Amino acid sequence: MPERNYDMVKKALNCPVTRRQVLKSLVAAGVLVAVPGGLMRAATSSDKINYDEIFYEGPYETFRNACPRNCYDTCSIVTYVKDGAVQFVEGAPESTFTDGGLCVKGNSYWNTTYSPDRVKYPMLQESRGSGNWKRISWDEALDRIAKKILEIKDKDGSLLGLALSKYSGNFGITNYGVEGMMSSLGYTTRFVGTPCWPAGIDAQNYDMGNMWCNDPEDFAKSKYIILWGVNPAWCSVHSMKYLFDAQDKGAKVLAIDPVFTQTSAKADEYWQVKTGEDGALALGMARHLLDKNMVDREFVNTHSVGFNEFEEYLKNEITVEWAAEKSGIPAAVIASTAEEFATAKPATIWIGYGLQRHVNGGVTVRSIDALVAMTGNVGKEGGGARYGHLQTWGFNYHALVQKQPKGSKGFSGTTGPKGEFAPELEETKFSDRTLNINKTARGLLEADNPPIRMLWVSCKNPVSQDFDLNLMKKAFKKPEMVVVVEKFFTQTAELADILLPVTTNLEEWTVNASYWHYWLGLNEQAVKPLYESKSNIEIAAALSKKMNELSPGSCTFPTEIDTKEWMIKEFNKGIYDLFGLKSWEDLKKGPHKAKLTSTAAWHDHKFATPSGKYEFLSELAAKHGHNALPKYKANRKPYAPLRLLTPHSKFNIHSQFQNLDWMHDFNPEPYVYVHPKTAADKGIAEGDRVLVFSKVGEVKVKAKLTDNVPRDALLMYEAWYNKNNFNVQNVVDDESSDMGKYKTGAPGVAIHDQFADVKKA
Amino acid sequence: MELSLVIFTVLSQISIGLAVMLAVRQWAVSEGTAPSSFRFEWIVIGVALAIALAASLFHLGHPFGSPRAVLHLGSSWLSREIVVMQIFGILVVVALVALWKGSANSWTLVKITALVGLVGLAVSGMVYAPPSFPALNNGVPIIFYGLTAFILGSAFSSYFAGEDKQPLLTQILTISLIVGLVINLILPSIWLSGGRVMQMTGAAYFGSALFWLRLVVEFGLGLAVLGVFRKIPIWLPVLLLAGEIVGRIMFFTHVVHSAVNIGNLY
Amino acid sequence: MKKQIAFFVDTRRCIGCFTCAMACKNQYHQPSGVKWRDVHPMSEEIYPHRECAHLTLACNHCEKPTCLEVCPVVAYYKRDEDGVVVHEQEKCIGCGNCIRSCPYGAPKYNPALKKAEKCSFCWQRLDADREPACVQACPTRALQMVDLSNFDEPDTVQYIAGFPRFTKLNPSIRFRPPRQPLEIRRK
Repeated sequence: MPERNYDMVKKALNCPVTRRQVLKSLVAAGVLVAVPGGLMRAATSSDKINYDEIFYEGPYETFRNACPRNCYDTCSIVTYVKDGAVQFVEGAPESTFTDGGLCVKGNSYWNTTYSPDRVKYPMLQESRGSGNWKRISWDEALDRIAKKILEIKDKDGSLLGLALSKYSGNFGITNYGVEGMMSSLGYTTRFVGTPCWPAGIDAQNYDMGNMWCNDPEDFAKSKYIILWGVNPAWCSVHSMKYLFDAQDKGAKVLAIDPVFTQTSAKADEYWQVKTGEDGALALGMARHLLDKNMVDREFVNTHSVGFNEFEEYLKNEITVEWAAEKSGIPAAVIASTAEEFATAKPATIWIGYGLQRHVNGGVTVRSIDALVAMTGNVGKEGGGARYGHLQTWGFNYHALVQKQPKGSKGFSGTTGPKGEFAPELEETKFSDRTLNINKTARGLLEADNPPIRMLWVSCKNPVSQDFDLNLMKKAFKKPEMVVVVEKFFTQTAELADILLPVTTNLEEWTVNASYWHYWLGLNEQAVKPLYESKSNIEIAAALSKKMNELSPGSCTFPTEIDTKEWMIKEFNKGIYDLFGLKSWEDLKKGPHKAKLTSTAAWHDHKFATPSGKYEFLSELAAKHGHNALPKYKANRKPYAPLRLLTPHSKFNIHSQFQNLDWMHDFNPEPYVYVHPKTAADKGIAEGDRVLVFSKVGEVKVKAKLTDNVPRDALLMYEAWYNKNNFNVQNVVDDESSDMGKYKTGAPGVAIHDQFADVKKA
Repeated sequence: MELSLVIFTVLSQISIGLAVMLAVRQWAVSEGTAPSSFRFEWIVIGVALAIALAASLFHLGHPFGSPRAVLHLGSSWLSREIVVMQIFGILVVVALVALWKGSANSWTLVKITALVGLVGLAVSGMVYAPPSFPALNNGVPIIFYGLTAFILGSAFSSYFAGEDKQPLLTQILTISLIVGLVINLILPSIWLSGGRVMQMTGAAYFGSALFWLRLVVEFGLGLAVLGVFRKIPIWLPVLLLAGEIVGRIMFFTHVVHSAVNIGNLY
Repeated sequence: MKKQIAFFVDTRRCIGCFTCAMACKNQYHQPSGVKWRDVHPMSEEIYPHRECAHLTLACNHCEKPTCLEVCPVVAYYKRDEDGVVVHEQEKCIGCGNCIRSCPYGAPKYNPALKKAEKCSFCWQRLDADREPACVQACPTRALQMVDLSNFDEPDTVQYIAGFPRFTKLNPSIRFRPPRQPLEIRRK
């Protein structure tokens, strides 16, 4: 490769043969691998970064990866590798959803993989929380862990004293091997449920029998789109192009949110609804449609049950004026919008997860579902009550399904633990003990017979992300041993006894689906695991080996595994048929989209409810202790003057990404956002350090003034800033939402039904 | 980065100022040999310049590449400054040799060197007047640099000049200080009525305690002392040097760059 | 007019997601603090909702670039075929003149290399028939690469509020201003 000095370049530029032609001929001669960007020179991994040359020289090896984060977009990634090191990543061009680009977080994967802050080796913390870390070998780490597990088994006669805290840190399907590992040891304690979206899932299940949304790529077919309590400009950036396309085609986009978000700025209209009163608003709109005879009677009569009762409820107990008073949106606006929504064919509502993080979250979703259904928009392309889906998650869960060792004792119960992603397991004589994941601190402190003696944490960061931080810190003192599997020294890792280094998604074999779009992405092992890290199933196999060394038969997890084989084992005929694959290897050419007969969910109107129809009135809901109809439920009563909202930032997925150097370059510090009038009342100026406090705890942080936030609320984005002990969970408690137990095993959390006050620090 | 530029500009301007003052002191003499008493002063001029050039090298990320810095005379004021300063430096050496030898054209060489020095002031000023600093995208840097050269040149010249030349130097210093005071007061107020970035610069200057301290100490006290004593006391040049250094530091730290305002109204 | 490629920033579609800025980091691995592309929120004087409209800026590959003009070692050249202004790192001596002089702050100081560096319009990618990293990465196609010699998008300007006007440089960049929604606020 010639030196890139001025004269040579000038010469090359003036040369009749262009660089492109030279490149093509080299490719033809087989000298270069036919990889795009053949003139790109690679940089090396962080230890050997040669900054003296800005890069670009191929050839590169490319690998298929997928972003395994808890995110709507679940991007398909192309990873460019040279000399065994990742050089850069791009979005897969084959996926129309990913469309060749990732997001601010996905583009930082090089920084994640090669961050000097990564946990490199198994570590032992001599005295939990002391910060005195010692590097130990895998053998020693597993020895300590195995001996503790055997000790617990001996003491209690079961492994119910071993608890698993896991959720969505890594959605690569083989990572369910962690649950599998627990099962392979015996019957253990599982924190079940989800902090995320359970109320809405139950709601959609009561109404339609399943959570199933349209293909988000069909937004362009919609004439009216309501973005209700969702902020895709921050949380699903790849969906925005479809919304813009719809607008270009003349569709109207209405954003309803207590906060003026980035999405609100892109909508045609924005409603500043009173937090938690979205149900009232939806019911008000429904009432108006009744008054104006704008109900789709054909749908309601043919495909639903209980509409008469719903109609009666609306006529007796709901008025548009009442809805206006509750929600803060003027009655005339409610009325005219309802009419526009009902007239537009089709119309759709994207129901956000923040919307249902309230004590009335589930019933709120039901009332919005009802609005979509009564206008005949369920089952229409470009229509639907969109929340999420699990249509593409029909894997074998081979890693998950492991058998307990013979003679294991556990909880005398019936069905095993639930999860919204994993399949229902068979009934057994014994089962795992289940605790509410949303009350992890309480669970750790209060579980008895036996108490939680050992905690295994993987794909979760409870100290950073779970509720009531003060209680959580107390709770973490209780177990006799805490094992944390992590990439970074997170706030949970800080309270571990043993810290095990885990691989990033670029270092493991797995497969990924999305709960929003309908693409499937292969995740190849682009580079070998760095340092001494192991993937979750490799850890399980290693633990099993140690367990069986010490006590043969104590763990059924295979001791030697081929992680690539385990990825392959997740595939089945169902997946192949759905995606039109001959084999998993087809995914090496790029992500594949499910073969959908229609972009609409429920296109055949064959609902999965007990009645087989859309249930405005759900007896199942009543059986579970809710109202059969989506009747209005009041907000949580405030216990402090201001509402506290702690939604998601664009710079991080919960506690991942914000800790990276690169992210710090663009988002160096956290803030609390305060309305200027509220700030003025309290003598707070822009940039002042303030104290956000409540009966739950307090947070010291800088203030930014903006009327994006309503006058009666404070807003902090939840995130983990490395080397900064900012944590919103100091002022968020674990109050439950109404629904969630039916489909996910535990009710959700009223994350946005929190209250606080603020003063100058 | 900035400190080396402060040293470079102040010292090079002292060097030029001394050369100019030396020429001015003897300006009645038309041709012939310069007095041997000039030799020591000329060495000081050379040493000041040498330190200045060394400081400018420290400013570079890669000093060994500095010889190439003269390649862009066509459009780069920096290339031109380097060339002019090199010529000035060569002339200083040549003139020094001539002075040492007592050569006949030593006086001519001294005058040429002083002239080239003045050109150097102008070229140097242009380097620091890019469009990115709205407050300085004009002749102001040249004026600032000229003031430094004249104030410190005349002040330090008093160490070397004979008694008969002191009144002239005192006069030049007094006028330079008056002009400097006026300029330093007027400029920030003009900036305050400019665009957003100029306003920010003006506010930074007027809002700086160091700015006012310097005005009072360098100009206020300086003029008072000169008014009372009618000559340059031996400690005054040191005080003035401190003031000029403060002024130069502010020049590099308090003038606002247009890029900091991106996203806001200009 | 000769071919002059430029960034077109459609702030109507831009969602301030910083993907473009991070895509550049992903491609070139600049050290901490060195950002060739940055995303600047438009102040509330211009767009009344805080941090809801943004200007994504890297280098404007001006017609008469100050950086090129002031560089003493001729470390910059402007490509004939597309007007990209390239900085040649091998020649740079780290004098900082371009960093000081560019009114848009495009050249940055790299403390690890002790040299200046800036957005190169990903010219090596361009030569390999690819889009610049930032343009390819943008999820809403708000950041595009255009050729000014045949650019005629409606409702666009060269100098949007918040972006300083330097007509002598003639920056190769175009913007489409952002829109605001109709707002229904609680009393």
